[in-house]
Amino acid sequence: MNDLGIVLSTELLRKLRSRIFWIATAGGVLVIALLVEAPFFFARLAHTSNSDIVLAGPPVLRDPAAHLLERRKNFRIVARVDALPVHVTPEYLDQHGHAGAAVAVSIVRGRLHVDVYPRDLSAFDAENFGSLVPLAVSIATGLPVQRIERVAAVAHTAHPIDRKFKDSRAATVAHGIAFGLVLMLYLAIILGSQSVMSAVAEEKTSRIAEILIATIAPSTLLYGKTIAAAIVALVQVGLWIVTAAALVPQATRSFVQVSGAAAPAANAGGAPMIFAFDPWLLAAFLTFFILGYLQYAAIYAAAASLVSRTEELGSVTTPVIMPVVGAFFIAQYALLEPTAPLVTICSFVPFLSPFVAFTRIAVTSVPGWQVAVAVLVNVATVAACFWVAGRVYRIGMLLYGKPPSLPQIFAALRE
Amino acid sequence: MLAVDRVRRSFGSVPAVSDVSFRVEPGTVFGLLGPNGAGKTTTMRMILGIYVPDAGSILWRGRPVDLRVRRTFGYLPEERGLYGKMTVLDQIVYFGKLHGVPRAVATERARHWMEMLGVSQYAERACNELSRGNQQKVQMASAVIHAPELLVLDEPFSGLDPMNAQTMLDCIKVLAAEGTSIILSSHQMFQIEDACRSFCIVGAGRVRAAGTLAELRSVFPTRVVCVSPDLPSIRAAFAANGASEPAVSPGGLEYEFPAETDFSALLRDVVAAGPVESFERREPSLGQIYARALEERA
Repeated sequence: MNDLGIVLSTELLRKLRSRIFWIATAGGVLVIALLVEAPFFFARLAHTSNSDIVLAGPPVLRDPAAHLLERRKNFRIVARVDALPVHVTPEYLDQHGHAGAAVAVSIVRGRLHVDVYPRDLSAFDAENFGSLVPLAVSIATGLPVQRIERVAAVAHTAHPIDRKFKDSRAATVAHGIAFGLVLMLYLAIILGSQSVMSAVAEEKTSRIAEILIATIAPSTLLYGKTIAAAIVALVQVGLWIVTAAALVPQATRSFVQVSGAAAPAANAGGAPMIFAFDPWLLAAFLTFFILGYLQYAAIYAAAASLVSRTEELGSVTTPVIMPVVGAFFIAQYALLEPTAPLVTICSFVPFLSPFVAFTRIAVTSVPGWQVAVAVLVNVATVAACFWVAGRVYRIGMLLYGKPPSLPQIFAALRE
Repeated sequence: MLAVDRVRRSFGSVPAVSDVSFRVEPGTVFGLLGPNGAGKTTTMRMILGIYVPDAGSILWRGRPVDLRVRRTFGYLPEERGLYGKMTVLDQIVYFGKLHGVPRAVATERARHWMEMLGVSQYAERACNELSRGNQQKVQMASAVIHAPELLVLDEPFSGLDPMNAQTMLDCIKVLAAEGTSIILSSHQMFQIEDACRSFCIVGAGRVRAAGTLAELRSVFPTRVVCVSPDLPSIRAAFAANGASEPAVSPGGLEYEFPAETDFSALLRDVVAAGPVESFERREPSLGQIYARALEERA
């Protein structure tokens, strides 16, 4: 086995055996599960939901209203009563299926009127009762509700113009997947960078570096460490993706609700999200994940080699973390405006590209040449990062006390 | 043979090594001596290729020291370093593999060295669970696992109790007997004098003296007289014979004289001065030559 293989395999084993890896991986799985399941869990725990209502009114109004409210899946009628008490109290709602609100329908001056008594005032407005419009029209015109519903229903079809997605549901799911994957890339780099930096700082402060550098080329050591870190991060993210995919469709619904991108019908079929992954999208993710991770990891390793004590890591962490944070935010903008000129340009900018280029590929049709250029830019960035980091690492690992000045670093790069 | 020829290395405007030359013969132990900041560690790092000399040359068997050659060297740095959470056995095997030793051979050799250094019972323990002395032994095993042709030991005895220091010394002698060339730096003059065949004393980045102990003694032709008890009349007799202030040792007083001194006459004067219990003329020790070498060229 060559030097790189020995360093790589040893580093891999060290990382995979480390407690921090398992804590971070399990923690990530737990957080994903919580993010997906928590709203439902807490809703069940609380025994109340704003969508559960007590519906009151004369049967002639109450029954068609119940039909309209439930049909649109806005509400679930937990109790039907002829009239509400003078004062609706939380105890009353508790006694009627732990409802979130009591709703009374009546006719006032010839028009449909709705009185709502909710636990949470902010959860109800006029839009909640838009589904009752056919009933209101029926009262005003005398036409049957079913007929009004039939006439009012507007048939529509969304036609994809770039053939990226076959329908709006697929596009919404793609946004959700892109958001999740970019978030994972971000988390993996943030967490992984700490791991790489700590490992380098440990080697430096414990002076193992001196023995290692006397035995193998510093650049080999650096490559072995960063590639091992990338593989470990990939394993970690793989586990997170599988967790997230297994817990769908809730994840997709959560995203859709947050983004307001489409009706909650998205992923209504309940098919596991893993089947929604386009193999090309997965390939793009893996490509940009590995390239992005390597460029950041190399820079972090070089930065960590400049500190003399692990306590000083904080001083070099902030400047190198900033590009990741910036890239993540631009990727969020790219999710909303994937064809904006700024986003297109950023998909070719080193350090931003892994996030932005992948986001564009996930949510819109990107010309093949742009994908190729983005990949080439990232490959070149990785090579440049390794070149620079290798030199900084070589001088940094043997310098103790005062960190090297910028002129010293530039001198090392010219050597 | 290792030939270090007029090497020089500065860090910015600060010269760490100005002019150092020496040769290490195959299968010998060579002592590199000097006070803190003299340039010993920088010289060792240049030999190991960690630093590139600004000038001068370092040749091993007549060839420049490149990565392939360095792979045949072993190194125990002054600052100890181990992967704290890695087991002792894994650690030693890892360094063996980095030096090109196949895993199975490295494991076998690691067990041999752990046995020899008395740490075999800790094979599966994490290094950070070991005492400082035992960690040092693990590091020694890591440095010799690949049967190096040249072994560079920077302060190998520091922090070791006398028993462990002796164990380390025994290992050094075994390695030298097996043909390993060893460069040894230490402040433990007694041990280094016992272990090394030749020496190089450096101060402020330059060679102050070099050679075998006999050669150093010929360069600094002095003799040490040890006398007891410590009485004013005996001190006065030495002073009358031109001696400078004595060093006080557990055995009495130690005076340094030029080698050509008439020691018979001196003995007569001292016996006449008081009740002498012992009077012994010795060759100067390495420590005394070391002190003199650094004093004279300061």
